Amino acid sequence: MSLDDPHLSSLIKRHATRHAAPDALRAGIRTQVALAEAGRSDTSAPPASKRRAWFALHWRTAAVSFAMGLACAALVLPLAQRFDLNPALDAELVADHVRALQVGPLIEVASTDRHTVKPWFQGRVDYAPPVFDLAGQGFPLVGGRIEHLRGGAVATLAYARNRHVIDVFVWPSAAQSAPVRSVHKGFNVLHWADGSMQYWAVSDVERAEMERFAQAWRQQAATQ
Amino acid sequence: MSNRQVFETLVLPHLDAAYNLARWLLRSEQAAEDATQEASMRALRYIETLRGDDARPWLLGIVRNTCFTMLERTRNQPQWVDFDDAEFEAALVEAPHLGTDPVLQLQLQRTRLQVDAAIRALSPPLREVIVLREFEDLDYAQIAKIVAVPIGTVMSRLARARGKLRAALSSIGPGE
Repeated sequence: MSLDDPHLSSLIKRHATRHAAPDALRAGIRTQVALAEAGRSDTSAPPASKRRAWFALHWRTAAVSFAMGLACAALVLPLAQRFDLNPALDAELVADHVRALQVGPLIEVASTDRHTVKPWFQGRVDYAPPVFDLAGQGFPLVGGRIEHLRGGAVATLAYARNRHVIDVFVWPSAAQSAPVRSVHKGFNVLHWADGSMQYWAVSDVERAEMERFAQAWRQQAATQ
Repeated sequence: MSNRQVFETLVLPHLDAAYNLARWLLRSEQAAEDATQEASMRALRYIETLRGDDARPWLLGIVRNTCFTMLERTRNQPQWVDFDDAEFEAALVEAPHLGTDPVLQLQLQRTRLQVDAAIRALSPPLREVIVLREFEDLDYAQIAKIVAVPIGTVMSRLARARGKLRAALSSIGPGE
């Protein structure tokens, strides 16, 4: 027995799942629109679309340069990577983390809802840091804040792990690297990059937990 | 009207359609939410280009492009889950309450899972034309504009998609 087109259409219309937008998403978008319109005059961030259009136009050229760059990088990288584990930056991040815990603000936007935290960064930093809800993996989102590092505003996310706080500093980077751990004053500092952003997670939770956090984050990022 | 008012009155009513398309094109709820959010912000940015057009196909075009950009970004990772146990369980729990006959309900649930799985199994280019045509009732010209291909291509993709769906759903039959 074969289905003709009208029957197939009605089968789909009657039986296929129609996904309704979650309320939290709708609310988040409305908030973001309101914020974007309110902050239109005072935001100096270049529109992402222009950058994206530029990128689309030049990606071929970029790809060729990138390939050449890659060849050079392959030669230099082992050396450069050693510099990448920058003790001064580690110290700065740890100091920020400790200061936030001592005097605050640990969070400027307090929310477990990533649809509240993510739009909050708009107009405050000139990039859109990914924000994931990792409550299911045991790392509930607590909120976000802006830190000033090396002369720039850096999006910082705070996650909870039992009674510990994990700060994640996020800023753009074209590099890609697997998590690298270092220890500064007893704090674990885990750094990785996914080709669009680099992440520095700082916390006093133990190493295995830290690695679990990075893994949860990267898995979440991979489903995007 | 301010941009925000235009967005609220013309674009926001189509958010369900936008999310539905994203959810069908991407493989997780979180990805679909991100795509819908990103597309909404793009829609706001380009709100001037709406100019009296029908907002629904306009928004769906933006959502579609956002989704494909996201897919492109992750194209080295496994992308399509043909059948997802979690989704299967969720579907069982969420199944609509239609009447009280448990046999009929089970049948409806089974049909829904079969139809969903058949659509999921289509490749993205085929899946998007099916969603735009069968869920959103857009005409060939509107779909062609959204997907940015000639009308003939839309028609041939629809035909191919329907052929695959027919094969996958032949056991259900036209009676249901």
